[in-house]
Amino acid sequence: MELFAQDLVNGILAGGIFAVVALGFSLVWGIMNIINLAHGAYIMMGAYTSYVLFSTWHLDPFLSLPLAFGLLYFFGYGVQRFVINYVVRAPLLTPFLLTFGLSLLIVNVALFIFHGDTKGITTQYSGSNISIGTVTIAWTKLWTLVVALIITTGMQAFLTASRTGRAIRAMALDIDAAQLAGVRVSHLYAVVYGLGAGLAGAAGVLISLSYSLQPSMGDPFVITAFVCCVLGGLGTVQGALVGGLLYGVLEAFGSQYVGTGLQDAVALVVLLLVLIIRPRGILGKATA
Amino acid sequence: MGGLSGNATALRVTVAILILLAFVPLLHSGYDENLGRSVLMFATLSFGWNILGGYTGYVSFGNVVFFGIGTYTSAALWQHWHQQSIPLAIGCAVVVAVAFAIVLGIPILRLRGHYFAIATLGIALATEEIVANIDWLGAGSGQAVRPLEAFSSYYFAMWAVCAASMLVTYLITRSKLGYAFVAIRENEEAAAVLGVDATRYKVIAWAISAAMAAAAGAVFAGANGFIDPPTAFATDDNVFPIVMALLGGVGTVAGPLIGALILTAINETLWSHFPQIHTLFFGAVIVLVVLFLPRGLLWLMNTRGGWRGVVAAFGAYRL
Amino acid sequence: MSDAGPEPTRRTFLSIDNVAMYFGGLHALDGVSFEVERGAVLGLIGPNGSGKTTLMNVVSGVLKPTSGNVRFGGRRIADVPVYAVCRLGIARTFQVVKPFANLSVRENVAVGAMYGRNGSRRSARASFDRAQELLEIVGLARIAERFASELTVPDRKRLEVAKALVLDPEVLLLDEVMAGLNATEVDAALDLLRTINQRGTTLIVVEHVMKAIVSISTSVVVLAEGKKIAEGAPAEVLASPRVIEAYLGARYVKRQRQRETDA
Repeated sequence: MELFAQDLVNGILAGGIFAVVALGFSLVWGIMNIINLAHGAYIMMGAYTSYVLFSTWHLDPFLSLPLAFGLLYFFGYGVQRFVINYVVRAPLLTPFLLTFGLSLLIVNVALFIFHGDTKGITTQYSGSNISIGTVTIAWTKLWTLVVALIITTGMQAFLTASRTGRAIRAMALDIDAAQLAGVRVSHLYAVVYGLGAGLAGAAGVLISLSYSLQPSMGDPFVITAFVCCVLGGLGTVQGALVGGLLYGVLEAFGSQYVGTGLQDAVALVVLLLVLIIRPRGILGKATA
Repeated sequence: MGGLSGNATALRVTVAILILLAFVPLLHSGYDENLGRSVLMFATLSFGWNILGGYTGYVSFGNVVFFGIGTYTSAALWQHWHQQSIPLAIGCAVVVAVAFAIVLGIPILRLRGHYFAIATLGIALATEEIVANIDWLGAGSGQAVRPLEAFSSYYFAMWAVCAASMLVTYLITRSKLGYAFVAIRENEEAAAVLGVDATRYKVIAWAISAAMAAAAGAVFAGANGFIDPPTAFATDDNVFPIVMALLGGVGTVAGPLIGALILTAINETLWSHFPQIHTLFFGAVIVLVVLFLPRGLLWLMNTRGGWRGVVAAFGAYRL
Repeated sequence: MSDAGPEPTRRTFLSIDNVAMYFGGLHALDGVSFEVERGAVLGLIGPNGSGKTTLMNVVSGVLKPTSGNVRFGGRRIADVPVYAVCRLGIARTFQVVKPFANLSVRENVAVGAMYGRNGSRRSARASFDRAQELLEIVGLARIAERFASELTVPDRKRLEVAKALVLDPEVLLLDEVMAGLNATEVDAALDLLRTINQRGTTLIVVEHVMKAIVSISTSVVVLAEGKKIAEGAPAEVLASPRVIEAYLGARYVKRQRQRETDA
């Protein structure tokens, strides 16, 4: 029973990160209909930004998070505006391969700069925990969850309340109508992709606190993001949050009862079941 | 007719190149033989991908699964039954892969577009993990596959597999089956109304695709001498064939081989001159190919406009 | 051709039997029943959103009805998978015409010749020959080699009809085939449809172009908000106040009557 509670808590804590990972991916997919295979690379860039700032200036990762977000936002904006934009309306395979190629480029640049050895971030509070009953919670992970929730709430507020956010949602519903209504579609597409990259960067910072760093670290998270989006429903903040938390819990129980080596297999089974039984996910809307 | 086979001249040239490739072992150079075998292997994988992705329109990002199944079938035949025969390895690999494809295909092929692509990617990753946990298959440390003394046998075997794949592709494009595939690609709903049982034909396409990949894997395992999960399910073997089909011409008969030749040439050049950043350059190559040649070289020759068409097409998909 | 009620001993050709189609809370079709006689041309009309295309989808097997049945030749359409419906003898055109863009005009029609009703007996070569015959009938023979994506709208509609005809159907469903055609083109289309009907094919024609309906239909069924509100000979049905009300609205009809009594 205690094990169950611990797994559940671990799952929720991990789920917060997954939610942020999924959020950026979900926005780009839901609004631009692009599966951004470079998402993992952006996560990695965020993580390494936090590492560099930490090791050079001892800047706490939680403080470097907004910087990483901003940096990745502008990077993503540029990538979309000047590269991806040319194939935005192409059939599936083209943007898929393009973002894959970009991912290869970015990961290999990182490999060149930082080399392949594993790095990590150890802050003063890294090892400390709090205990509630029989359950142990690492401080880092708890704060990570809090920040993740702040980010998702912030994104939701942005999308519903701000003018840009509403324009983005209008564009997602009907791009041609939005364009006719005066929405600067190419700019907004770049904004959305930038947000996706920024959120990935933020996720990367959060990840850097609990996981080790390597140039290829981001790639597994693309599948994670995909599964969370499918689980929770595409294109909404709530969907990413629900999907992330649920997936975190599923993974925690999965590694407990099936073993850590088979994590991807667990993810795949979950993914396939959802796709076959309820493709739009828990909170998703039915589409044609 | 001949509408689905692609440009006839390109086809003849490619067949000629294929025949030339059969003579590579005569050069008595291990390096050239490895390189040639690599081209033939990737071309076969690309032919396989092209059947499902190019002709039927179902983009799979997990074809390496069947390649891996092929390698492990070959390995298991040696490890557990001490069989070295190449035809046997190919035959068993094909049977296992086709069975896998049919069983997986029926639920998975109901998915479309992005969902299908990622589901196949997930299958590839998951299978790698599962195999790494099966001791009978050597688990994480892999299994040895004893190579035959006549090493060039593997070259000819790979050549035969590649030639067979190209032939099968050609025959499909000249038959009713090819039109079922293409109809599904163009408009699956309309095809159903015209009497095409889409599920049946999608599974057939995937099975053919799987058979080709598995055959290539079976030969590769013997030539390599050793396989383990990362080797059998390598990302390169997954993505390169797709880029090769793209470069050469998606949905044409000659495209995969042309693409394999060009990309292997580029890869080798990069590897020998810039070993550290060759993957980086490869990423750049992918980006450039995708941006400027979204349907590949042979489509250029097929459609009107040639190079001007490329320039015009460049802006076609932008906002 | 009259629409006499079904006699218990006569086997009906095509019967739509209390068909209902509910999408969540939306009643797209609500208890629609009528019969189609062999050789007839049935016009199916109604204001936008009345359920005409939904009914077409149900009759062609693309949608399974929530309740009710469509029976053809004694069999229920809903029991048969979509790809097998053409083998029963029912073919259709789509309202939004999307041909196989990367195939030639002839290849487009050949697919149906290969996989449709008599397809299993045909070789690829024979299928292309049959496709060419059909292109002659609809008047597209001269552009048989052109890519379907390059066709004009009227030619695309002809192609759509050819693709349906190559299935040797007994019943042909035409979903707004006249939309987007000018007056001359409409006349040409009507001639084509008459020819097809005279060769023995039963037609169900969904249209908004009333001139077409009047000139070609042997009987007319009117849908409004998912229900059948009128059935009978074209002239009567189109003059019926209930039908006019469905199209123009109750207030308009009321005001018309008001004006007439005032005058």
